[in-house]
Amino acid sequence: MARIEIVNDGTVRECAEGANLLAELLRAGAFVDNPCNGTGICGKCKVRIVDGEVSKVSATEQKLLSQEELTQGIRLACMTCVSGDIQVELLQKERKHKVLTEGYVPEFTRDEHDRGYGVAIDIGTTTVVTSLVELASGREITSASMINAQKHFGLDVLTRITYEYEHAEEGIEHLRCAIVDSVNDMLAQVCRDAGISTEEILEIDIAANCTMMHMLLGTDARSIGRSPYQPVFLEAQKRSAGEIGLHAGMDNSALVYCLPQVSAFIGADIVAGAYVCELEKQDGNVLFIDIGTNGEIVLSQKGRLLCCSCAAGPALEGMNISCGMRAAEGAIEDVKITERGVEFTCIDGKEPVGICGSGILAVLKELIRIGLVRKNGAFVKKENIPEEDYRYPMIRMNGKKREFLICEAPELVVTQGDIRQVQLAKGAILSGFLALLNKAGIRMEELDKVMIAGQFGAHLPAESLTGTGILPKEVENKIIYVGNSSKTGAYMTLLSEQVKEEMEGLAERMEYIELAETENYEKIFAESMRFV
Amino acid sequence: MSTKEELLKRLSEGVLEMEEDDVAEAAQEYIDAGYPALDAINQGLIDGMNQASELFEEEEYFVTDLLLCSDAMYAGINVLRPYLPEEKNDVKHKCVIGVVEGDTHDIGKNLVKIMLETAGFEMIDLGRDVPLQKFVDTAKEREAELICLSTLMTTTMPGMEEIIHLLEKEGLRDKVKVMIGGGPVSQNYADKIGADGYSTTAVEAVKLAKRLLAIA
Repeated sequence: MARIEIVNDGTVRECAEGANLLAELLRAGAFVDNPCNGTGICGKCKVRIVDGEVSKVSATEQKLLSQEELTQGIRLACMTCVSGDIQVELLQKERKHKVLTEGYVPEFTRDEHDRGYGVAIDIGTTTVVTSLVELASGREITSASMINAQKHFGLDVLTRITYEYEHAEEGIEHLRCAIVDSVNDMLAQVCRDAGISTEEILEIDIAANCTMMHMLLGTDARSIGRSPYQPVFLEAQKRSAGEIGLHAGMDNSALVYCLPQVSAFIGADIVAGAYVCELEKQDGNVLFIDIGTNGEIVLSQKGRLLCCSCAAGPALEGMNISCGMRAAEGAIEDVKITERGVEFTCIDGKEPVGICGSGILAVLKELIRIGLVRKNGAFVKKENIPEEDYRYPMIRMNGKKREFLICEAPELVVTQGDIRQVQLAKGAILSGFLALLNKAGIRMEELDKVMIAGQFGAHLPAESLTGTGILPKEVENKIIYVGNSSKTGAYMTLLSEQVKEEMEGLAERMEYIELAETENYEKIFAESMRFV
Repeated sequence: MSTKEELLKRLSEGVLEMEEDDVAEAAQEYIDAGYPALDAINQGLIDGMNQASELFEEEEYFVTDLLLCSDAMYAGINVLRPYLPEEKNDVKHKCVIGVVEGDTHDIGKNLVKIMLETAGFEMIDLGRDVPLQKFVDTAKEREAELICLSTLMTTTMPGMEEIIHLLEKEGLRDKVKVMIGGGPVSQNYADKIGADGYSTTAVEAVKLAKRLLAIA
């Protein structure tokens, strides 16, 4: 047996010799950033070994950690095994995240109720948002949000599905419990805030992406993670709270309604968005985008809906970026570059810690604007900038590689690799967008409106979106932000049986297009990578 | 009339600058002038592609730039192909490549295939979402020396390990080298499953393949 002492708070955990440090720390409930779920890719799970014996530094760590870090005893927890009693220091602390709970609600007729409460929930891969609603008035009384507790099993959907592959039935149960516990905590919290009992809840309506919905219901999500990407269910689901482990209603009898879905990659969250934005009722050509690790896009051509999903990767959420972080305290969220130098603003006005997605987009927009990054995405060569030019000192050489210095202390840089990550995200989203337009036979100029939904999109100003070419310049003045339309959809189904029916019909009518099978997709993608 | 050297330069630069139409046009002019097609490929198109690889290593070009360069290269090859001499009996190294079962993301695989082909390998492309046994069967049938496996998804990575087991079972493991790549794959993973090599990029993959097969 070996003993792990976490020096930050004195927690002690016993484990077998040779146990993986990351796994043990997570079991001890410690906060360790773990986007790739311990596969040795992301290099984010840094901890410091203060004392004691651990396994030798692996080749992966040699590559991902600097010499300075290694001399300080910093290691990647996922690559480290415990060889005896150790003391370990956690280097990250859990930061407060901003969560979007608001959104636009169209007019609709509510069913009549004389009593009771309902709950509308949006389960995102990253965040979960809950609203308590008084059924008689339709009034939102209070809301709560939290980070999805499944993040311990990986930050993205695929990593969590992989967890199910590796742990089978037990894995499915772990993931189910994580999200069910989170939802129960939030139900208790909103009821406490409102001064009511959870027994007064009559109905809970849930919108989520397809994987989250499967995991909530304890349904095997593994088939979503492999071609042909077939979910177990797509239709709307009805359960009692007790059946899925939620505490709501008399004897946990509250109705749980899960909104309908279109495909493995177009979930109830997007159906809800399409409904809330009344895409079927639009006369013109309207594009709806939910930007995240997966970008889901719906094109309404006078009411005919085509949709697709593109793998944008986590770069726009600040991940896979060398100094990247999620949108939390201390994240640089906006950057301006002028002759006076680099100016930036951080979330909550705190000292800079890293760069979040909106920050990295803002930097890139500026780099393109002042010509430090060229159309193909490469930095300008330093020798091609005159030494007296204000931009000259902004490019720094790291060996043969060029990087852009945002801030010296703490040192925050944007590398060529970072720009490539954002470029891939941009290429994925823009190519999805263009593929849908091609399919519908519409030109860019014929678009009347672009609606941006979701937590992440809400923080992206139109100038960043068009300045980096994620959306073409032509649509800059046609962009509307619709907020958390997923939760709004759940709010609407909660209050109206008619909305439920209409949404189920809508989900059946939405035509899903698989990008990988689209003719010439590779070419569209390659061309979408260029900054114009 | 352009000289042969001028046309070769135009072919090479056309590939480097991703000018698909101009490369096709230059190749036609080259053929019309009666110059030998094989030189146009080796000293023109492949030279351009090699320069693109160098720019890629300097972080100047990116994956998709290489794809566009290769489109230009193939536009040229298509014009030249009918004029190529009958293939001599020089034996090319055979390589089976594909995306493992369950995954349909193939851009990375396509690029590795192009770069290996440019480097003179005979590529047998099984496409994407390929049943695991098919890699082994094809390698056996065609007597390939190399198998390249790719996947972009963590869910399908175990397929790579499975293929190595299948090769062992068929007694082929010491006859064929296995290279792996793709977003979630790492050197660490390659070591764990007993693959012969891993590379992060398509350009590195060529060097790795040559090293594994001891080709100068």
